[in-house]
Order: sequence, then C-alpha cells, then structure tokens
Amino acid sequence: MTVRAKPRRPSGSAQHNPGPKGDDLLQVLVENVRDYAIVLLDPDGKVLSWSPAAQRLKGWATDEIIGQSFARFYPEEDIQRGKPQNELKAAGQDGRFEDEGWRVRKDGTRFWANVVITALRDNNGKLRAFGKVTRDLSERKEAEDKIKKQAQEILEMATIPVVQVWEGIVLVPLIGTLDSARTQQLMERLLQHVTDSGSPVAVIDITGVPAIDTQTAQHLIETVSAVRLLGAEVVLTGVRPVIAQTLVHLGVDLSSVATRSSLAAGLRTAMEMLSLAIVPKADKP
Amino acid sequence: MSASSITVVKVRDVLLVAMPSDPDDSVITALQEQAMRSMDQHEAKALILDISAVETLDSFFARTISETAQMVSLMGGRTIIAGMRPAVAVTATQLGLPLKRVETALTVERALDMVSLGKRQGSAR
Amino acid sequence: MNATIEKEVVIKTESDIVVARRAVREGASALGFGLTDTTRIVTAASELARNIIKYAVEGTMVLHPLEDGTRTGIELTFVDHGPGIPDIAKAMKEGFSTSGGFGMGLPGAKRLMDEMDAQSAVGQGTTVTVRKWRRQ
Ligand SMILES: Nc1ncnc2c1ncn2[C@@H]1O[C@H](COP(=O)(O)OP(=O)(O)OP(=O)(O)O)[C@@H](O)[C@H]1O
Ligand SMILES: [Mg+2]
Repeated sequence: MTVRAKPRRPSGSAQHNPGPKGDDLLQVLVENVRDYAIVLLDPDGKVLSWSPAAQRLKGWATDEIIGQSFARFYPEEDIQRGKPQNELKAAGQDGRFEDEGWRVRKDGTRFWANVVITALRDNNGKLRAFGKVTRDLSERKEAEDKIKKQAQEILEMATIPVVQVWEGIVLVPLIGTLDSARTQQLMERLLQHVTDSGSPVAVIDITGVPAIDTQTAQHLIETVSAVRLLGAEVVLTGVRPVIAQTLVHLGVDLSSVATRSSLAAGLRTAMEMLSLAIVPKADKP
Repeated sequence: MSASSITVVKVRDVLLVAMPSDPDDSVITALQEQAMRSMDQHEAKALILDISAVETLDSFFARTISETAQMVSLMGGRTIIAGMRPAVAVTATQLGLPLKRVETALTVERALDMVSLGKRQGSAR
Repeated sequence: MNATIEKEVVIKTESDIVVARRAVREGASALGFGLTDTTRIVTAASELARNIIKYAVEGTMVLHPLEDGTRTGIELTFVDHGPGIPDIAKAMKEGFSTSGGFGMGLPGAKRLMDEMDAQSAVGQGTTVTVRKWRRQ
C-alpha cells in the first residue's frame, strides 16, 4: 500500500509550519480509506486515477487501468445493455447516481457492490470528471440471500410440514385446499423426505382439508402412486364422514390406499406395517 | 456405454442388477436378455433392479422393466425395483408409466429383506 | 449469455437419444430449472427423440432458451422429414399407437411440459415443439 503522508517537520520551525494542508489531508484520507474504493473518471468514463482500496478490490495494477474505460468493472451482459454509459449519463444529468449490483474483478470473479457516481464540475459548471465510490457488499448480500432462502424454507414448511413422527414413519398434516401447485410441493417434499430418511411409511392426514373434489382426489392418488414407486406405502388419515361421502359420490376409487378415519388409527396402522406395536405398560404388581 | 456394462450378480437365490445413470436402448435391451438368461441358469426366485443411479426413466425403459417383470413372474419369480429417485418417481407418475407386476423398495437392502421374509412392500401399481 | 445454451442435436441412431437427453439436462439446469422439472423436460425429450428414430428414421432437436421479460423457459423443437402423421389429434390421444406401443409418448410429453405444438404433413414430415417455464 502506498501512503504518501508527509513526515512531520522538526518542531523547531513550528512558527512557519501550518501542518499538512487541507488538500494533503484529503489525499491521505482517500488513500487510507479501506472500505470505499474511490476512482476518478474523465467525462468519457476513462479512469484518471484510483485509490489503493480500489486497486485492492478490483485487482488490476494501477498502470493497467489508467486510461481504460470504467466499463471493465461491469459484467458482460450489463455492458451489452449499455449500463455503464447510462449510469454516467444519469450522474451527469442529476449530479449523482447510485446503484447496487454485480461488478467484476480483473480475474472475472463477481462481487456485489454499492456504487455512487458523482459529477465533478468546476466553478463555471463545466463537467471536469466523475468520482466513483464503490463499496463491496458481498457479505451483506450473501447474508440477505441466506435469510431469504431460510424464509422461503420456513414458508414451505408452514404450508406443507413434513414431520418424522417415528423411525420409519413420516407424517404430513395437510391444512387447507390442495391445488395443483401445492400438490407439486407436497409430492416433492414428501418424496425427498421419504428417500432421505428411508421411511417406508408415509401418513398423509387430511383432517385439515375443508373439502375434497375430483381434482383434489386425483392429486392425492397421484401422490400415493409416486410414493409407492419409491418403495414406501401411504396411509391416508382424517377421512371424515362427509369426505368419505363425497369421495363415493364422485366415484373416486381409493380402494388401493389404506385409509383411516383418525390420525391415531392411521399411526397404529403405520406401526403395524413396520411390525411395531404400542402396548400398555404392564401394571406393577 | 456398451451393452457389456450390465452386470448381473447372484446373491443367494436373488439376482441383483445395478443400472447405470443414463443407459441407452441397447443397454436396456441387454438388461432384459441377461436377466432372463441368469434367471434360467440360477433358478433365482427374485430379480432386484437397483435404479438408484437412474436419472431418466422414459416409456421405453419402463416398458422393458415391466415386460421383464412379467417374464420373471411367468417363471415363478418376482421383480423389485429399488431406490428410485424422487424426481424420477414424480415424472413417472405424471407420464403414466406402465409398471405392471413390478414391486418397489426404498433400497436394495430392503428389497433383499422383502425376498428373504417373503414379504410384499410397495407395488408400482 | 444464452448463446451457449442454444444447441442442435442430430438424431439418427438410438445412442443419439442419450446425446439429446444429456444436452437437454445441461441446458435445463443452466437455465435454472430445479431437479424435478429438469427430469420432466429430459423425459419428454427422450419420448420425442425416440419417436423420430422409430417413425421417421432421422431428424434434429433444437434447444432454445426462452425469455419473455418476466419468465425464463426452455423450448425444444423436434423436426423430421419422415412419413408424417395423418391425424395429429388422434396421435395426441392416450393409447393411440401405430406400432403396438402404449401411445403414451406424445400425450405424456405434453403433460410433462407446459405447452406443445405439433405440425405434420403426410409424406413431408413432423415438427413437434414443446416449452416449459421455470417456476418462480
Ligand atoms: N415423428 C413422427 N413421425 C411419424 N409418426 C409419428 C411421429 N411421432 C409419433 N408418430 C405417430 O403417433 C403415434 C403416437 O405416438 P406416441 O409417441 O404417443 O405413441 P407410440 O410411439 O406409438 O407409443 P409409446 O411412445 O408409448 O411407445 C405413433 O404410434 C405414430 O403413429
Ligand atoms: Mg412414442
């Protein structure tokens, strides 16, 4: 790193020494700011000079980049869309332009950046240069994306929870209507869980499904078929009288599926399928 | 991928075949021939197809498995496909693949258990 | 950027079906399709490629990325200059087959994809186009 702070003069000549001038101090600041990469561009966008932090962030050697267009800091697809020039134009018009997006380093790797471009005009209002301050926000972006992904997972878990209730038994308590999109989610989540946990029995509880129509029934049958292809069985529970009536009236054939009215009865059936039994604890004599 | 890449392994009275991830038609056809020959030679009572590596199961593949299972069944044996991947199962269901006479198991181990216990577990249809 | 996803596969022999499947798998995952949708697209491609080998001897598959501003998708076009299909509506029905098959290829591929167009002229050939959009 090149720090050009001047050494203090000996204190003997203190009388004539006002200390480093304001401009020099600014230079020291620009060169020592670590988190902000500062680049000076000519009105066409060519690099005039840059700070050590900019060099560190972007990876080019200073003499490689001086005179080059600042478009080199942008991804290929942005260059094609004319983004660099549009940003300069906007900064020229409004005095300032701010953006958050991907930028590239010399080695082609990307980082997520906050960029502020400021138009620098002389006293006559003539555009002399642009100042470009870039901050690497990759870590924040990564953290945000992670949180978004977790929120998505929680949302999926909330709409279709898949619970390992016993070794070898997974339970899906369905709540609400079952449209095609949810059936897709249900199938994917349930099948993945059955495979990952090696559970031979899946209990699908429809106590919380308000009404059933031919389409919903078809979706359930599809799910059952897919689970069976994996080598597992399905027990359908929570088949209330009104649902049983609808199914019969609709002519839906669920005879190949083990169905039980209550979740408790369904769990017992699931246990039997695994040759397990729940027995009451023997009374002490 | 050549047809010779299909290996049929005999474990006790069971024939075990591991399918490659993306077999072409000649490999699939060879599977049927090899399996039938081995069934005859070893008087095996079951054929287990390990399809845990298989990424695409189209109608040709499914039909060959189903036909093979029907032949094995005529010879008094059973056919179990083991380890189907979730994405493959969803696709097969939507395509409406015919897998008559084919039993299913989560893993090869479970398929072997099914044979030795004489138990039925899943069935494709 | 998408220029690398664009692809054409000549379908002439049975092993070309595997080549087509691989190209589609790569293309679909590069476009960001999930594993289940990728498997659906590859399976549909396998059915349509096999129809070319079976009925038209040879043809091509063209893979094309789709972008309509808000959505990303994939388009596969299967072209052959074989005998053609006299009655497409009939061929699209479950169970219709002139080869003793299950007649599942065309209707099954349609179910696995979002859209399907089929055009055919007897003696001139068949073009089947399928599309699928990425779920958000
Ligand atoms: N590319 C093609 N050229 C000519 N005829 C075709 C073509 N593709 C399909 N067909 C006709 O359409 C019919 C239906 O095709 P489809 O793929 O649905 O079923 P299939 O090939 O007969 O059986 P399956 O695909 O289940 O093995 C075929 O039997 C064939 O007559
Ligand atoms: Mg076909």
